[in-house]
Amino acid sequence: MNRFLRLFYVGVFVFLGSFLMFRLIRDGFYPLAVFVGACVVFGTLVFLRKALTPYRWMAVGIALAVLFTIYPIVYTVFLSFTNMSGGHLLTKQQAIQRILEQKYIPEDAITYSWSAYKNPAGEYLLLVFDADGNGFVARPGKALEPKGPLEEPPAELDGYAMIDMVEAVQRIDEIGKIEFGAAPEALTIQSLGEAAVSKPAFAYDEKTDTFSDVVSGTTYRVNRGTYVSDAGEGLSPGFMVNIGLGNYTRFLGNDGYRKPILEIILWNIAFAFFSVLFSFALGLTIAIAFENLPGKRVIRSLLIIPYPIPVLVSIMVWRALLNERMGLVTSGLSSLFGSSPHFFTEVGWTRFAIVLINVYLSYPYFYILSSGALKSIPKELYEAADIDGAGPLVTLRSITLPMLLRILGPLLIASFSFNFNNFTLVWGFNAGLPAMADTIVPMGHSDLLISFIYRLGFNTANAADYGFSAAITVMLFILVSLMVFFQTINTRAMKETA
Amino acid sequence: MRKNGLLLCMSVLLILACVTQVFAAGADKKDAATGAAGKTLTVWVYDNGRIDVLTEIGKQFQKKYGIPVQVSLVDLGQIRTQFLLASGGAECADLAIIPHDNLGALVENAAVLPINLGAKKKNYLAPAIEGFMYNGKLYGVPLAVENIGFFRNTDLVPKAPATWDEMVAIGTDLVKKGKCEVIMGFPDATYNSYPFFTSFGGNIFGKNADGSLSPDKIEIANAGMVQGLELMTSLVKKGLVPNAIDWDAAHVLFESGKAPFIMTGPWALNRFKTAGVHYAITPFPAAKKGGKPGAPFLGVQGMIISASSKQALLAQAFAVEVIATEASMQAIYKAEQRPSAWKSISASVKDADSTGFAAAGVNAVPMPSIPAMGYVWDSWVSAAALSFSGKKTPQDALLNAKTQIETQIKAKK
Repeated sequence: MNRFLRLFYVGVFVFLGSFLMFRLIRDGFYPLAVFVGACVVFGTLVFLRKALTPYRWMAVGIALAVLFTIYPIVYTVFLSFTNMSGGHLLTKQQAIQRILEQKYIPEDAITYSWSAYKNPAGEYLLLVFDADGNGFVARPGKALEPKGPLEEPPAELDGYAMIDMVEAVQRIDEIGKIEFGAAPEALTIQSLGEAAVSKPAFAYDEKTDTFSDVVSGTTYRVNRGTYVSDAGEGLSPGFMVNIGLGNYTRFLGNDGYRKPILEIILWNIAFAFFSVLFSFALGLTIAIAFENLPGKRVIRSLLIIPYPIPVLVSIMVWRALLNERMGLVTSGLSSLFGSSPHFFTEVGWTRFAIVLINVYLSYPYFYILSSGALKSIPKELYEAADIDGAGPLVTLRSITLPMLLRILGPLLIASFSFNFNNFTLVWGFNAGLPAMADTIVPMGHSDLLISFIYRLGFNTANAADYGFSAAITVMLFILVSLMVFFQTINTRAMKETA
Repeated sequence: MRKNGLLLCMSVLLILACVTQVFAAGADKKDAATGAAGKTLTVWVYDNGRIDVLTEIGKQFQKKYGIPVQVSLVDLGQIRTQFLLASGGAECADLAIIPHDNLGALVENAAVLPINLGAKKKNYLAPAIEGFMYNGKLYGVPLAVENIGFFRNTDLVPKAPATWDEMVAIGTDLVKKGKCEVIMGFPDATYNSYPFFTSFGGNIFGKNADGSLSPDKIEIANAGMVQGLELMTSLVKKGLVPNAIDWDAAHVLFESGKAPFIMTGPWALNRFKTAGVHYAITPFPAAKKGGKPGAPFLGVQGMIISASSKQALLAQAFAVEVIATEASMQAIYKAEQRPSAWKSISASVKDADSTGFAAAGVNAVPMPSIPAMGYVWDSWVSAAALSFSGKKTPQDALLNAKTQIETQIKAKK
């Protein structure tokens, strides 16, 4: 019974998975379809093969990790080699199709008003009127027959009955697909009120892979994902193509990016480092100071308050506090000292404020961790140190810190990596400003790499440059991975010596 | 035996999945061919306030033509993406409402269809139509227009200043007397401060011969823009305007009577009313006596047709014959209370706020809708910040912005 139930569930799973996969393939998302397919195969195997039984517990987690972590990484790397951006979003086939769909109405063409007629066999003809009220009968594939001036369209015409407005609206797209009249001068319906000769504006030659303008004869050749004429006019839409290392060389090969980005990288590392250092130091200090004091519970509850408040709200409160004119902090400082720092317009103070806010936001976390970890240090060590005559500083340095770091080391690294990409804080506080001077793209002194990428790739709204942003993201990813890697090695070394 | 059963089971399911797909695809095709019964028009709106009224208009359409209209709320970013990627197989509505500054990217990706409004065009405000024109073709049925206005605190300033100099004189006087702290706060140094620039003849993009905007003619550092930024910078340097640009703080200054002026849009009305500040909305001051008042950006919202719609003619019939009528436009205006793009409705409005915004927006210029505008904002923000902090002269700052914009446009080519 149990086995059948399992088979049933796996069947449902495979059914849903395949359904999703087919939809993705139909819609052209091939790489994602492959990943979904792999997950389906994996899931099925795990639940049907005895040997893989232990994986059952992790199957869901692994599948989700593949879909939501591995796939985006692979896809970002893939994107970084393309020119995907506004205007280059479609595949080549789609772009060609869209260019072919573009029609034009010749300048000397007459626009007619129309009434549609239908015979019992379901065939249509149009009775069209020019601006002077002359009627013509237009049948598919035959030249227009002049009917002379007509006051009103008749209710019946050669065995065809006129369709009323309601039916005309209902069937307008059906009728709109039919060409009425003889070939080059065939009429099509343009709107409820108009029919006119309309022709494709561009002709595509598959052999040479070029488009030519039907009217002017201009030839458009493929160049980096756009059909371009010799004069440099491009046809829209363009399409997505692989441009190799183009995005990488654009970034690395340009002084304009390289120099300011170095400042951003250094600030980024400093920001992450000092944020972790100060919030850990503060959290630990409080934890040690209050370890054996009465009222510890109350203080702990109070200190944890900043923690559950949404980060964005805290940032907004800090923005208001530090506002250069009306902020509580700034006006307090200026009434005490006559002037106060510019927390939004001066580089140093902006960075100081950002680290300050980050310390405020994250010290409760380290306080909780440290106060827990402190308990795990054997009391005997302290007693021994006491007997040996070690002062509080020495015990801190030789007992507390090494023991704590053993436990908290990995968390500190995680916190560092998190802060390395702390977009919310930097963007929410001052959007990366104050601005850097003389850069070739807008950059700010308080920008982290991630906010710089965001500005470049997404804040440009309709001009978004996904391929380029993906390339920078990949480089950032490599950078962070390397740092985490070396830190992990260091921690391991530290653990072994400890 | 068991394994075989398993294989059989799996294959059956796989085949079933395939069949369902084929069936579904077949059903799609059938829909397109069966006429009235199987058809539905879908409309995406990004603004909550429009759903009910459009649903109501859709019901009338259904009563008359038997085709239901389904209106749903979709995030603007999502509308944009789905329209852009629609021929990539993404689901897409037949019609959608967008702010016109998104139009350029959609046209450049051939994601929208031109609309023929015919003689109805003349019922609309000219700048509203202009907003939805791209490369000489009309791509949308305008619904509402929006622009910022020049607010003054009527308790402090009884008569609206005609020039920036007058404004500065009045403001400086109030600051000296201790009645105010500053002249105004800039909510931002770009969109909400554009009249400063335009009053001197500032402009962002130049025009091609056919009247469309050209991304190759960047005028962000022209004489008018520089003079505008010089004026703004001098106000900041004298301490008459706060150095740090802060949207909220600028509004708070006005609400609390600490600043007699502000330049902002209809979205601020509620908070001003709640704060109880007495205000009036007037046209922007001019650069000099008798000069042209500063011109704000005009935002136009309108209905577009997806190029991937399988019933584009029907969609167009709905947009042109049903939406672009006085009755529908009136209903839409009543529902959303945004200034209507329909001339006679716009002219019939009498309340002080609306007429004030209309007067301030008489010479409004549609916000550029070419995609390259996306590069402008951040560079413009940086230029203003660099100029205010004194790190660069206004001219150098704007030239720097121009170079940045050029670089990004070139990099994409």
